[in-house]
Amino acid sequence: MRRAELVAPVAAILAALALSALLLLLLGANPVDALGALVKGAFGDRLALENTLVRMAPLLLIGAGISIAFRCGVWNIGGEGQLYAGALVATWVATRLLPGAEAVLLVPLVLLAGAAAGALWGGIAAGLRVGRGVSEVLSTILLNFIAVLGVAWAVHGPLQELSGAYPQSDTFPAAARLPMLPGSLRVHAGVLLAMVLPVAIWILLFRSAAGLRLRAVGLSPEASRYAGIYPLRETVRVLLISGGLAGLAGAVEVSGVTGRLFENLSPGYGFTGIAVALLARLHPLGVLPAALLFAALASGSGAMQRIAGVPAVTVQVIEAFVIFFSVGFALPRRNG
Amino acid sequence: MLRVELTELRKRFGSVQALDGAGLEIAAGEVHALLGENGAGKTTLVRALYGVVRPDSGSIRIDGELVQLRGPRDALELGVGLVHQHFMLVPELSVAENLALGERGGLLLGPRALRSHAAGILERYDLGFRPDLRVGELSVAQKQRLEIARALSRGVEILVLDEPTAVLVPSEIDSLLELLSRLREQGCSVLFISHKLDEITAVCDRVTVLRNGRNVATREVPGIELRELGELMVGSELPPPGQPPRTQVGPVVLRARGLTTPPLVGVDLELRAGEVFAIAGIDGNGQTPLEEVLAGVRVLESGSLELVQPPLALISGDRQRTGLVLGLGLDENLVLEEAARGGAPPEYRFGLVRPRELRRSASAAIERLGIRAAPDDPVRTLSGGNQQKICVARALRRDPCALIAVNPTRGLDVRATAQVRDELRAQAERGAGLLLISTDLDEVLELANRIAVLFRGQLYPVAPAEHTRERIGELMLGGAAA
Repeated sequence: MRRAELVAPVAAILAALALSALLLLLLGANPVDALGALVKGAFGDRLALENTLVRMAPLLLIGAGISIAFRCGVWNIGGEGQLYAGALVATWVATRLLPGAEAVLLVPLVLLAGAAAGALWGGIAAGLRVGRGVSEVLSTILLNFIAVLGVAWAVHGPLQELSGAYPQSDTFPAAARLPMLPGSLRVHAGVLLAMVLPVAIWILLFRSAAGLRLRAVGLSPEASRYAGIYPLRETVRVLLISGGLAGLAGAVEVSGVTGRLFENLSPGYGFTGIAVALLARLHPLGVLPAALLFAALASGSGAMQRIAGVPAVTVQVIEAFVIFFSVGFALPRRNG
Repeated sequence: MLRVELTELRKRFGSVQALDGAGLEIAAGEVHALLGENGAGKTTLVRALYGVVRPDSGSIRIDGELVQLRGPRDALELGVGLVHQHFMLVPELSVAENLALGERGGLLLGPRALRSHAAGILERYDLGFRPDLRVGELSVAQKQRLEIARALSRGVEILVLDEPTAVLVPSEIDSLLELLSRLREQGCSVLFISHKLDEITAVCDRVTVLRNGRNVATREVPGIELRELGELMVGSELPPPGQPPRTQVGPVVLRARGLTTPPLVGVDLELRAGEVFAIAGIDGNGQTPLEEVLAGVRVLESGSLELVQPPLALISGDRQRTGLVLGLGLDENLVLEEAARGGAPPEYRFGLVRPRELRRSASAAIERLGIRAAPDDPVRTLSGGNQQKICVARALRRDPCALIAVNPTRGLDVRATAQVRDELRAQAERGAGLLLISTDLDEVLELANRIAVLFRGQLYPVAPAEHTRERIGELMLGGAAA
């Protein structure tokens, strides 16, 4: 990332903070205290930090996937649905298909199953685009509803816990749970995985011949065709990758955090992931700080409500400000 | 009276100092030529005058007033209008709608007011087409006239034309030059950018020559010699015009049979190793579909295309849209073709780039073709001539056996043109077959061993005895079809 590219995201965050301070004033709170409480709630103690890091993991995976898709000119709005598809299939593998397997086998299988399911969910959109010319914007949005409702059906039906008490799956066997990272922080290994994969995506996008094709298609489908690239093939590829990352995020969530599947599993990670990618200016490495910011906003909101007496939804308004300004500042300037 | 004074303008884009103290004076009622090679800073200078580029330093005076231009709107207020190389018209909208666009309150006009507003302008500037015609259906020359009329109708008195003749055929050029002298009689000042010396001597009063972002000279045009002007521009003696390559013609490398896709009807052609086969013709007679077929991006209704001797390389006729990915760097554009279809260029190992190798290849291409850029500069920031040289460099990378070049020197200056033609000629001498699709008759005559004319989708071969400007010009207008 060149230095000039950092200016816009930083400006977006500062502008959002300024406007948020104004909003907090209007709500009768001292902005310094309220924002201080927010930071404290996100980073202030061990528990707060753990909470922030765990929330960051799905945002990293989805944000990196959205970045690569948007760079290829593929507007994948289906991160949420791909996450649910991943969580659903991961749960099926962990609680129904192989509940007795060893951890060395089961954890990777659960994660792979989640990624494959997410890729398949993205792949449906790709198939509709190639076969029928359906815009992926529409199909991915609609597939979100299907996946969310699919999970609701599964936890009321085939995947419901055997006791039948609540609409949720059985808890994962211990061998299907992501192990904790060594060290004093109690965070699951998925966080590390989620921090490594954006780097891999960066290498794919900016250092590989395959990534050159993806970017070329995103910048100029016409010139890419003349150079011998098949833009639709790249569209399919990138939908599989970004769907797979979102599906992996779903598997990480059930295997690392909740230990079971239920409705409303995700607080909108699939959509916040888009904001993360935009704030990162579609740069896979920029996703790291951007995801940390959005995770901190979410995990600090409770503390802000308690300490400063500001409703927790205020944080959603602040998030909206950040998105608004990052889109505003991220738009390329037309004139020299 | 001086209408425009630009003094000591400087502007830097990334690693390129586009303007390095350039200046210009235009008097009232004068047709002033701006001459310079690609990358000399002509386009940047006029964009500064039009408020699109903000200079790093220097001053702009219009009618003696020192002005700060924040955008084209400011320039238009002061009577300065620019007609770009690439037209700023919306092809999906009608002539009338395009004329209303950007006009104060223009979008509020009802259909009838829109028509009469447009009809008035079309009448005043003597344009013979209907206001409800879609702009996409106009020819290139008509679009240019429309742009000029639109500018004049908004009170523009200082008209800047950025290489207006690059897209025109000879007869259209003549009538544009006539228009310029009429405008002068009406008291309009015109800044005319070109690097075709004969056009400058035909119509201009004075000429300012730019080189490397600096002024080299300003001269009165009457009495000036072409040779002197050319030498001022390039800073050395002009290269002599070249000859078609004299080589042994070899076996067929590319064969097409009955290519049919509108408007092409049953086009047969054979390209042989070591020859330059030129397809002349006026734009719009099937050149673009033919290019698309050869590039493999257009489906044929019938007929077949056989590449007997791969590899094939194509220098696209539209470098900005289909030739290059403008948002990528020079280096990545260079290797894009080899990275396509799952392949990997030699600068990549295990699918991953070796940055030093890529940089070295890009620097070698820059060196060889004299491109003014750094290896990773986005191609968007380069001048048209430098962009074209990148297209050429890319096509030559794999030593093609069949090379297709579509208008390879369109918009290029004298030296760059000579350089590109030399490269192409060298390819034929090396033993490649060169298929040259060009609307530039001089180019066709200078390079071709064999010529055919494309007219309304059909190919008419020209016998060697008929390789004259007059006969081919006649065929281009349909002489053989009659």
